[in-house]
Amino acid sequence: MKVISITIKDLKTVLSDKQAIIITMLMPVILMTILSMALKGSFISSDDVVAEQIKVAVVKQYDEEADSQIFNQVLEERLNIDIEGDEVNPEEVFFEDFLGSEEVLELINYRVEEEEKAMELINQGEISAIIILPEKYIYNMKINLLTPFRNNVNVKILTHPDRAINGEIITSVMEAYTNTMSSIIIGKNVLIETASANDIGGDGFDNIEEVMEGMTDLVEGMSVSIEDITVHGRQSIKSSDYYAVAMMTMFILFAAGQGGRMLLEEKDNQTYQRMVVADITKTHILAGKFIAVFLIASIQITIMLIYSYFALKVKWGDVSSVIVLSLTSAFSVAGLGIFIASITYRAGNYRIANLFENVIIQVMALLGGSFFPLDLMPEVIQKLSFISLNGLALKAYLKIIKGYNFADISSYVLILALTGSLFTIAGVIAFNKEKGAAEHAKHNKIKTA
Amino acid sequence: MLKVDNLYKNFGNIRAVDGISFEVKRGEIFGLLGPNGAGKSTTISIISTLIPPTKGQILFEGESIFENPKNIRQNLGIVPQDIALYPTLTGYENLKFWGNLYGLKGAELKKRINEVADIIGLNGRLKDKVEKYSGGMKRRLNIGAALLHQPELLIMDEPTVGIDPQSRSHILDTVLKLSAAGITIIYTTHYMEEAEALCTRICIMDEGKIIASGTQQELVELVKEKTQISIKLDNISDNMPQIFKEIPGVFDAAILDDTVTLFGENGDILLAEIISKVSEENSKIQSIDIQKPNLEAVFLHLTGKALRD
Repeated sequence: MKVISITIKDLKTVLSDKQAIIITMLMPVILMTILSMALKGSFISSDDVVAEQIKVAVVKQYDEEADSQIFNQVLEERLNIDIEGDEVNPEEVFFEDFLGSEEVLELINYRVEEEEKAMELINQGEISAIIILPEKYIYNMKINLLTPFRNNVNVKILTHPDRAINGEIITSVMEAYTNTMSSIIIGKNVLIETASANDIGGDGFDNIEEVMEGMTDLVEGMSVSIEDITVHGRQSIKSSDYYAVAMMTMFILFAAGQGGRMLLEEKDNQTYQRMVVADITKTHILAGKFIAVFLIASIQITIMLIYSYFALKVKWGDVSSVIVLSLTSAFSVAGLGIFIASITYRAGNYRIANLFENVIIQVMALLGGSFFPLDLMPEVIQKLSFISLNGLALKAYLKIIKGYNFADISSYVLILALTGSLFTIAGVIAFNKEKGAAEHAKHNKIKTA
Repeated sequence: MLKVDNLYKNFGNIRAVDGISFEVKRGEIFGLLGPNGAGKSTTISIISTLIPPTKGQILFEGESIFENPKNIRQNLGIVPQDIALYPTLTGYENLKFWGNLYGLKGAELKKRINEVADIIGLNGRLKDKVEKYSGGMKRRLNIGAALLHQPELLIMDEPTVGIDPQSRSHILDTVLKLSAAGITIIYTTHYMEEAEALCTRICIMDEGKIIASGTQQELVELVKEKTQISIKLDNISDNMPQIFKEIPGVFDAAILDDTVTLFGENGDILLAEIISKVSEENSKIQSIDIQKPNLEAVFLHLTGKALRD
């Protein structure tokens, strides 16, 4: 009852403060709206902008040796064409001439992996895409490049939904490759046709002219094509999605800032001393404030979820995951608030609380991706994002929006809960730690003239 | 009801309370007087169980408040000198909160809030936010917050500082009513006239020690043969008290604001000498007031300094 009374009083105090309402409730709503609108055109994806080489895995589903053997066999037995099958090596063309070229190397950092391993890497977010060279790739490409015939080659690109931009870049680069290859194949076709028409070719080409005429129109369609696949069931992130999450996760930190002042304000107003005389324990006081900060953060989150859903059309995804994550985020913020409140109380001035509100929140916002998408940042900062509560919450909310289930965000939820607990424990220890006699008196003595 | 026995409190090398002992009897208004640094606030804080003493004992109803602080806390109301309220909440919300903390709820809490509002004269203004109250109204609400749980002992720390005469008069009336209702009050103040008007017994503190205690009459007995002469001058030099002390028959002299207060035997005879000394110092007398001995005189007599120095 006493704890609830303290909580209700703190809530009323905060909600009666117009400036606090503007900062914690109105500002994020305005900012998420402005940023969503302003960056609608330029915002391509959630956290996907190329800053460094895009990591991709190439999967060879073919057997190079077997393909070459079959090709040579077909040449000899069926086509009776006298061409050296080893003159052109499609694998060399793809890996060395294409992926190994200076321009492509600037963009793409590839490694050859088994399919299973590649899937594992993309699921872990280690790579942005998988390029799958299909079965009989070498055989079909040799057919395309060295004979008048065309076989369909279906190169698959599997992109990571979290890295939509990187996926688009890979797709574009691969399209450039296939276009080039198609041009080569067409050019070669024309050459063969011309040679055949002018009876330049050898005996082996005598019967091919008729076949080629029918095939020429289909060259483009039958040459190398790309099948771009994104992982099933994932949604891409729009600017409104991103900034709704970014502003929400940033501004709930201000609830911790407000909580950080509560204890010292009680002391300065002499209400803390009055509570002690009323036989209210430190545990009661801290618990009341913890719940107050938790509820303030929860109210903020609720307002922003509802607003962004209706006004910005943000589809937040699985409701139960959103609820659990929101409660955990609010818990974590409450723990942080209690920690700041305790050390501010012990310090006896508002420097720490001010530092938190004016500097630390901004740094956490930057590290956590609330200002700019994390992929724009250097890798070091991307790794540091895990030390910011808002960064953790932001990543988890975005995952839910993309369609991940609770199991995929459970690690984030766990870290947030753990962080909140640690902050709370540290806050309780700091608040309960006995002071020296002079300090004790400074904090608790009733003022008289 | 409350017995303070040989109480000491050190802050590092500073001794704030130096072996004081006194007793507060049930139903009385006990005045605690002293200038800044006298040790009043430390004493009040120890009685309120906010800080522990270095040495000594305090018994409330025969039980140590250090061994069982709950006992005194449940029966103690404290009115701090500062306004210990929440300015952005209404008067009602403030009273409700403090009532809740003392375990009051529902109809009982509402009844107590109404009773307290009557006592402090704020009925009809409880719906307003405290930040809109006048200084006097805030002080009255500050008292009200300490009364909700019907304490047996009320500590009032300078409850009339910085308010208008009307509110001050209201608060003094309230204190007398509370005392009449059986509440024991420990009252600290700088205003001699308040102590004289309210307190049944008074304890005078200076530099951590009790220098005198007793009823007002007992204390005034200490200086009964001494006349207090207050001389308002247009030009006071720092050495003026010393000059007056050189006059035969003058015991003490001190400066308070633009007035020199001195004590001596046979004030009528002293006046001629005093006027002569003022003239020698090239100062002019604006007014002279000859008073019967009072607590101010007692304090000056005991410490050699004015109470509000």
